[in-house]
Amino acid sequence: MLEASGLMVFYENMLALNNVNIYCGENQIVGVFGANSAGKSTLMYTLSGIIEDIRKKEEMAGGERVNILGEIQYLGQDITGLKPSQRAKKGIVLCPERRRIFKECNVMENLRIGGYLASSSQAKNTMDYIFKTFPALEKLKKRVGGFLSGGEQQMLAIGRALMAQPKLLLLDEPLLGLSPLVQAVLVRATKEIREEKGLSIIITEQYARPVLPIVDYAFVLENGAAVMEGDREELMNNPDVRSAYFGV
Amino acid sequence: MEIGHRRKERLDRGVKVRTEGLYALMSWRELGYLTMPRLVLIIGMLILPLVMPSMYWQRVISIVCIYALLSLSFDFLAHFVGLVSLGGAFFIGSGGYIAAILNTILGLPPMVSIPISTLLGAVICTLFLFPCLPLRGVYFAIITLMFPLLLGRVIEALDILGGTDGILGVGSFTNSWVEQYFIILMVLFYLFGMRRLVNLDIGLVFRAVMDNDQAVRASGINLTYYKTVAVFIASSMGCLAGGYLAHIYMWAGLSMFALDFSILPIAATVIGGSGTLVGPVLGAFILVPISELLRAFGTLRIVFYALILLAFIVFRSEGIMVYGQRKYQQFEKWVKV
Repeated sequence: MLEASGLMVFYENMLALNNVNIYCGENQIVGVFGANSAGKSTLMYTLSGIIEDIRKKEEMAGGERVNILGEIQYLGQDITGLKPSQRAKKGIVLCPERRRIFKECNVMENLRIGGYLASSSQAKNTMDYIFKTFPALEKLKKRVGGFLSGGEQQMLAIGRALMAQPKLLLLDEPLLGLSPLVQAVLVRATKEIREEKGLSIIITEQYARPVLPIVDYAFVLENGAAVMEGDREELMNNPDVRSAYFGV
Repeated sequence: MEIGHRRKERLDRGVKVRTEGLYALMSWRELGYLTMPRLVLIIGMLILPLVMPSMYWQRVISIVCIYALLSLSFDFLAHFVGLVSLGGAFFIGSGGYIAAILNTILGLPPMVSIPISTLLGAVICTLFLFPCLPLRGVYFAIITLMFPLLLGRVIEALDILGGTDGILGVGSFTNSWVEQYFIILMVLFYLFGMRRLVNLDIGLVFRAVMDNDQAVRASGINLTYYKTVAVFIASSMGCLAGGYLAHIYMWAGLSMFALDFSILPIAATVIGGSGTLVGPVLGAFILVPISELLRAFGTLRIVFYALILLAFIVFRSEGIMVYGQRKYQQFEKWVKV
């Protein structure tokens, strides 16, 4: 479904992604694991096209130059260099790190903004689906985004991404700063969404253990390079990975 | 690695890295690299009055310096303290009226009345702005924009301080060289003073206030105190310029509260490069003479002026100084990846 090859991203002279090859099959959940500064978020920005936006803004302000090399194939098309909005139209939707929900809009409004690309019947169905998947949001429909708890905000962020009718959902650290209980809810929901909506998901996380049971395939990033890849068992059986990312 | 891909690498020049340390004193070349830009600026400003063809252009230099001070004050407040101030007119008006009163009523000569109006004006401006210090961003800008309008209307309505005629008969400088070199030296003094200030500990606190005022408060620092100090410093620059303006025009009036004094510094900062301090001064040195040259176009002056500004913002939004500094300190080369 998605295949990125030779991705290299430079922030000025700093190499954030070094020749990363990553792919995601139809209806798969792919995990990307790595420590802070391993390049997870940059990878997500590059796949979703946000990096093009960052590049342009930095250029306008005379800040650091962002160089992006490599190519991304999506559903047989070359989408390298496409704007984030065009990629979203094609179905690649990013649920950004730290949620970035619209703090001054309430839950319904947040979802409606996310559903800008969807037709009204699609939007309605997705909204029903989101409230079914995350019953906690149902009661908070009129609550302003900034007053939601961390877990509710993350549910809302995933819901907002779903409203854009993704075919490939990019979840950037969805479990950041959440309690184990909420983490379990979100992981279960992610799995359900994959099965019921039939979409592909790329999920990044620092600590692999809560996510690992649901991923089909995973990559491990280290200092911007993909140092290891494999399916769940392969990763679980590797002693280095076990100690570094599972805390075993 | 794919062959054929290349990117431009940006690296600090060797001489820039060397001159950051004590080694700068080891060779004339490095000493020159370090001092050249500053010397060019200082000497350039000092010979400006000598090379101006006429009295008219010498007067333009004085006006340029007034705007340079205002731009410096705007840049300092906006990019080092995080207070977007449109108070240029407020500072000019306060400084100008105080200097005019001191000169006409108490008979103080310019060299005494200007320093007093600088300090007194800064105190008054700071007192007026003190209740507004918790405001940030556009709200602070609106408040600072309202004060000059307010004071102007008060003077007009109550017919105090000369009313609409203004205060006439303010004494001028005895010597035109003193007049010009005074303001040029003040611009240089404030420019290098501010550069020093923002690198001191207090400057560090200012920048922290801009970035995250909650964290500053959490570090046990009195936010209001530091904002007050910053506003005092910035308004002293504006009041100095105002007092000087009153003396060279020999008049203080309502047009000292004109919006030009608030708006042009912003344009100068954008053109010169925000957050560089020297950039806004350069911006004033470009914008004000351009505006004078464009007088030939009559009413179309503003149109051309706006077009020049637009072109700058669209094509060089980083500003001249940011661009220039980068070219001076760094070089680029193509590298294969």
